Amino acid sequence: MKKGLPVADRKTVWRETAELTKRERKVVVAAVALHIVAALAGLGGPYLLGRIVNVVTAGGGTSDVDKLALAVGACVLVQVLVSRQAQYLGHRFGERANARLREDFVARTLALPVSAVERAGTGDLATRSSVDVAAVGNTVRTVVPTLLISAIQLLLIFGAVIVLNPLLGLVALAGVPTTAAVARWYLRRASPAYLREGETASELTEALTTTAEGGRTVEALRLAEERVAHGTGKIGQQWQARRRTLALRSVFFPIVEAGYALPAAAMLLAGGFFLRHGVSLGVVVSATLYVQQAIDPLDKVMIWLEQAQRGLASFARVLGVGMVPPEPRGEVPAVNQRELVVRGARFAYGDGHDVLHGIDLAVRPGERLAIVGPSGAGKSTLARLLAGIDAPREGVVTLGGLAVTAIDPAERRRRIALVTQEHHVFMGSLRDNLAFAAPGATDDDMLEALVAVGADWYADLPDGLDTELGDGVRTLGPADAQQLALARLVLADPHTLILDEATAALDPTTARRTERALAAVLEGRTVIAIAHRLNTAHDADRVAVLEGGRVSELGSHDDLVRAGGAYASLWRSWHG
Amino acid sequence: MPPRLPHRDPGVPDTRSPFRYLWWLVTAQKARVLRGSVVGTLWMVGLSVRPLLIARAIDDGLRTGDTEALLFWVGCIVLAGMVLAWLGITRHRTMTFIREDATARSAQVLLQHITRVGSVLPKKITSGEVATVGGTDVTQISWALTMTGPGVGAVLASAVAAVVLWSVNPMLALFVLLGVPVVAGCVWPLLSRLQGVDSSYRHELGILTARAGDIVSGLRVLAGVGGRDLFLRRYAARSQTLLDKGYRVGSIMSWVQALTVGIPGLFLALVVWLAARMAANGDISVGELVAVYGYVAILIVPVWFLLEGGYMAVRGLVGARRMINVLRIEPDEVGATGREPGPEVNSALHDPESGLIVPPARMIGVACDDPAEAMAIADRLGRFSAEPAEQTATWGGLPITSVDLAEVRERILVADHESYLFAGTLREVLTGSADPAGPEDGGTPEKQIRVPGRIMGQDSTRNPDPAPKTAPKTAREPAPEAIAKAVYTASADDVVESLQAGLEEPIDSRGRNLSGGQRQRVRLARALLAEPELLILIDPTSAVDSHTEARIAARLRDHRAGRTTVVFATSPLLLAGTDEVTYISQKKVMATGRHEELLEEAPGYRALVARDTEDETTGAAR
Repeated sequence: MKKGLPVADRKTVWRETAELTKRERKVVVAAVALHIVAALAGLGGPYLLGRIVNVVTAGGGTSDVDKLALAVGACVLVQVLVSRQAQYLGHRFGERANARLREDFVARTLALPVSAVERAGTGDLATRSSVDVAAVGNTVRTVVPTLLISAIQLLLIFGAVIVLNPLLGLVALAGVPTTAAVARWYLRRASPAYLREGETASELTEALTTTAEGGRTVEALRLAEERVAHGTGKIGQQWQARRRTLALRSVFFPIVEAGYALPAAAMLLAGGFFLRHGVSLGVVVSATLYVQQAIDPLDKVMIWLEQAQRGLASFARVLGVGMVPPEPRGEVPAVNQRELVVRGARFAYGDGHDVLHGIDLAVRPGERLAIVGPSGAGKSTLARLLAGIDAPREGVVTLGGLAVTAIDPAERRRRIALVTQEHHVFMGSLRDNLAFAAPGATDDDMLEALVAVGADWYADLPDGLDTELGDGVRTLGPADAQQLALARLVLADPHTLILDEATAALDPTTARRTERALAAVLEGRTVIAIAHRLNTAHDADRVAVLEGGRVSELGSHDDLVRAGGAYASLWRSWHG
Repeated sequence: MPPRLPHRDPGVPDTRSPFRYLWWLVTAQKARVLRGSVVGTLWMVGLSVRPLLIARAIDDGLRTGDTEALLFWVGCIVLAGMVLAWLGITRHRTMTFIREDATARSAQVLLQHITRVGSVLPKKITSGEVATVGGTDVTQISWALTMTGPGVGAVLASAVAAVVLWSVNPMLALFVLLGVPVVAGCVWPLLSRLQGVDSSYRHELGILTARAGDIVSGLRVLAGVGGRDLFLRRYAARSQTLLDKGYRVGSIMSWVQALTVGIPGLFLALVVWLAARMAANGDISVGELVAVYGYVAILIVPVWFLLEGGYMAVRGLVGARRMINVLRIEPDEVGATGREPGPEVNSALHDPESGLIVPPARMIGVACDDPAEAMAIADRLGRFSAEPAEQTATWGGLPITSVDLAEVRERILVADHESYLFAGTLREVLTGSADPAGPEDGGTPEKQIRVPGRIMGQDSTRNPDPAPKTAPKTAREPAPEAIAKAVYTASADDVVESLQAGLEEPIDSRGRNLSGGQRQRVRLARALLAEPELLILIDPTSAVDSHTEARIAARLRDHRAGRTTVVFATSPLLLAGTDEVTYISQKKVMATGRHEELLEEAPGYRALVARDTEDETTGAAR
């Protein structure tokens, strides 16, 4: 059963949010203050225009009008300059916060123990790294500033009405209950609906890209009709998801919008009453115009609220990655200890049955040990125990007497490397793809490593080591990618190598060539090779046969063939 | 009112120009677009009603103390609010329908096109480009259609405002009518600048996101070899570059945001100042002054709309250009456009270039010393590459290019070992059928049916009638027995058994959640299940252990009895199981005979296939 990565609780999210703001308290305060000044200048314009009307009504001359008009111009100018500075401060703050968040996220991701990643599945982590980090980024960059400005404007507007007349201030809140109720209704439903909308969109893109990538297969197996049916189904699902969000908006928007008329209406009615109790007409008119002005910021708040909510949910998932306890820093063994010993190791995935039933195996330093056996015998599991990725349920795996899982992870990887048939070409140049295994390697070292694994495709690369690889640029085939993985290994130069079907994707001829070249380079290293091709076993010093989670035979190729057991039968059938 | 999507038939797009493509999307839904224009205009004009009603309520109700009039006008305001809300949502719904109709139409046209183009597509365009066109471009094309509704409304609303202003004072109206384009002209370059820097920022951000995703997918590799610090440092460096870029964007963005508010604000102030002077001089009345203020303020809404709409239209045209570039890629007829019927069943295939002859109704092995050459021969036999006439393969004596391509694809299957595995349940992967709905309508994955479908004859006891009661949906739905048989031949039983839900277990695209050996056997089973008359297999067992390989070798011949099978391989187990083996070296046929005979007679063959381990023989293989 897959167990997802944790999600931060509400308290943690708020604490982290507060942390982000506190770190730059001065900037935040300055930005808010400037926004207030800008908003006040913004309100000044309409106020002065009202004064102009009053002056004209009262029969004032053009010179008064000119003065007031000049003041209006000054207000606009102040608003432009101050709001520009406020936005710039906010923007810089948002960018910094964003950079910190995404870098923290990647650091936390890289610190995750592999077992935790595997339990959760990379899908969960991939979604967090793309959708959630982007959602948080968008929230910090766009949503929060918009909400902040709108909130300041709303506060000032309602503050102005209250200053005009506190009772009218209460009336201005006339639309609040309906708006709040419908917003609550909407926000409860909106996030899952919009997430689903995003999901269907990426599913449709996925359907299109895989169909394009598998173009040859579509043609060869005549799958066109099925692919069209599949993609058309995704189009239908996208429409269904969008209809759902449209249905939500169809309730939310009209109610909110119809509510915008209420404050003005209430204000006028109350005005009619207050006029008889000593409130001036000018106050009522101004208050009415003010609540009209509140519509625009209110509208923005309503539109962006849902995104803010989604941003918070994403933030909780981004922070959740950091809640997985990192790999403990372990001990550092002496450099010359190379003896790898498995004693009584039992292992089970999840709560299932044991895959390994008490393995005892001592790997001699510098020897080449081949592990063979039928599929499902537990070969890859044993490889993971040897590499210290998993700990046995019972028993122990030691390197120089120290449990491998107790060794400091970075040290362990430096000494014991595991290469599986799962390969990954990272985005970046060929050099980048090699350098991370051995940061000090020179270009010559890299070329040598490539030659050592028989990667003759290197000659075809347009820019040599600088050729960009990875998705969408230049995709290496599985065989080439596997050779790349082996070249990394040569560069990393650990004293113990575990090769789990590391040449399976190569065609038999190339595989044989690559293995022989590799053997020459790896002279003196301890090599544990899991392979279905038995020439690997033939070339090894010893062969261990794994059957049903137990080591059934162990010895040199010749001894085992002579013994006439399981290995001998495998060897005979391999020869055809 | 809502369109029925997906379209039953999306129609034939007009790919002559980007504009024609957009127009095609419009004319496909004329009535809806017309409705959008009407509602859009009404809504835009309706925006000006509330200030008008408030003015009346103040003048007729409050100022005169007439409670009845006040109540009447307040009632009107509430009612108008409701009508406006209704118009607003109707406009939004109609426009959404227009956009979604266009989105589905574009996506369907694109989908049908890329499946029609087939194997040429990956050579002409990267999958990333398909993703961009299918995602971003299709969306931007649809948004351009927004111009049809509120866009038309904005033009009409501006005209109405102009007429009303004219009736107040022609001079003022002229000033406004000339001034609005000037304001728009000032704001437009700012907007375009903003769009520019913002999109370059987003592009950079996209790369950074891709890098984070890249690190996530490579975590397991990093766990095996190490090097995490380097990735973190490199990511952080890129992130800091983006931060600098973000600062620059912020500098421009903050100016643009401030000016796009400030410039129209300044213009409004200018108009009111002029009007106020006129009022002070008695040229216009005070009431007219207030009205002018109102109309100019309202005019700003449609002008904004036109500005933004103009942007959407420009981006939509760019998207449409990229769309038609993809739609113009034509499928490759591979050499010729033959329409002849193919030769009769069980005809021989011949590759003149290498001299390989595939005799009918037999299973032959081909041992080729160069894997790339093996692929090239298979491509020629299966007509996946265009060749000069003298190198074109013949089929029953006919040049293969003279035969209708559809028939070639139907009767000859080249199963290469990188053939694509599409996501779906294992059953769907094997049968090639795809469940169009996937999980039920918006359903969660838990809703998926989890039948513990083991392969062998689960129906035989429950259903005495060998013919299934419900006819298969498509011709491609093979009987359970056929699936079981193919799985058995490919020795993939253990793959099915190792999956929790057996045949109903979801498989990721490219079979990412299977091991290499499992993927290979699934591909083999799929090829066998297609039951082609002529099956060309390339290295079908290179990733499986020898016991499994021996089992496959033993079962393959029985499975394909009576039909033609070509196995490109260097495995002695597989080659020994064939009727006849052809040994190809230096691109030419060197020898033909039974496996055992060739081992004796052709030393090169022995060096290539025999799994001897003496160094001199392996050395000779290269």
